[in-house]
Amino acid sequence: MPRTTKRSSGPDSQADAIEDLYARGVTDGLPVIPPTLPRVERAIQASGRPADELIALVPPNYGRATVEKIAVNAVMAGCRPEYLPVVIAGVEAMCDEAFDLHGVAATTNFSSPLFIINGPIRKRLDVNCGVGVFGPGWRANATIGRALRLIAVNLGGARPGVISMSTMGHPGRYTYCIGESEEENPWEPLHVEHGFAPGDSTVAAFAGDSPQGIYDHKSRTAKDLLTTIGRSLGVVWHHKATALGDTLVVLSPEHVRTIAGDGWSKKDIQRFLWELLRKPVKELLPGKDGGEGLPESVLAGIPNPETDGTLIAKFRAPEHLKILVAGGTAGRFSAVIPGWTFPNGSNLVIKKIQTPE
Amino acid sequence: MPKDDRYLDPTDSVAVPRKTAHRPPSLDGKVITLLDISKPKGNHLLDRIEELLKERAKPKAILRRKKPTFARPAPDELRQQILSESDVVVEALAD
Repeated sequence: MPRTTKRSSGPDSQADAIEDLYARGVTDGLPVIPPTLPRVERAIQASGRPADELIALVPPNYGRATVEKIAVNAVMAGCRPEYLPVVIAGVEAMCDEAFDLHGVAATTNFSSPLFIINGPIRKRLDVNCGVGVFGPGWRANATIGRALRLIAVNLGGARPGVISMSTMGHPGRYTYCIGESEEENPWEPLHVEHGFAPGDSTVAAFAGDSPQGIYDHKSRTAKDLLTTIGRSLGVVWHHKATALGDTLVVLSPEHVRTIAGDGWSKKDIQRFLWELLRKPVKELLPGKDGGEGLPESVLAGIPNPETDGTLIAKFRAPEHLKILVAGGTAGRFSAVIPGWTFPNGSNLVIKKIQTPE
Repeated sequence: MPKDDRYLDPTDSVAVPRKTAHRPPSLDGKVITLLDISKPKGNHLLDRIEELLKERAKPKAILRRKKPTFARPAPDELRQQILSESDVVVEALAD
């Protein structure tokens, strides 16, 4: 058969390495970059930290994430050496007690850590915050998210079907990393809202399902648009789910202009969505419009649920709705990302990226 | 040189591999803890297991314990308590 692809004259040891690493069960199924000593040393060097510095123990198996182990996984994921400080901050964020990686890694739910990058480092590393933000095409997004997934598997033990028991999983489990479009954000960016300085660069870890798209081409007021977004948000998990915690609302620049143009703040958005997404007890009963509904523990305290009009909120508090700006400058689309939000479950955690001087 | 040494190991190779606990040959005379992880209806499963244990074995005692939430590991205090008082633990996952 005639060959149409020109053959490399180099050695084929790289191809063998790819097969070896897959056979050892340390990949995500896609080919990885072989973590040779020179590659790993370049990555450690770029972190500005000693190779044996312990950054975190990675739940649930509590493998030791030293700078060197992080670097090995980052090389395998295809990271450039200068991405190391971001990957290290991502490890700190997902291993923070408040994130509850133990639960997120083992759950039967869909969830996967999503990493959100803020601050000046986005420009320096060419992190995509704009068009196709959740999609492919940018090395920083693709490989930083992938490195953190490999770390969760290789150091945390989150192998699918062994520890990670997610019934469905989702494509973000290959890589799930975006930047916030601070340039299109008229409000405080995520990290500043959470107490960091605008000049700080940070990584946030958020345990999320896949993004769920909301289309609204026609609304021209904040109230109309947020009603569309709210009603769509109202069905996440299922349409009668209540008491949810951290959930992401990712607004596109065109939608942001409509909302901010009416003078609404982030707090106004959170309050409006929270109030909109309350339902009376009588509409939340199991067996009415589906078998799901209020848990037995809640119903036990309500004498006449069939007629009770008390409003129950979908979200535990307005501030659990995390507002983010990202995506292309053209298109009236936004997205919501349901969280892993059981009471005492996973919370958004933000860590500062420490870059070498 | 072995093949695997050509690349650095991405795993924590020194981590102790997990092993299943020793299984006693009989449950007779043992203290059995039934651990509810707080998932809905986990108690249904454990109630039935308790009935069957009483029917088919002669345990010294059956203790019922509960994790405060399924979303996180059991608090250390609870783990120590279970460790100190039981020979066998049955944990219920449910939904």
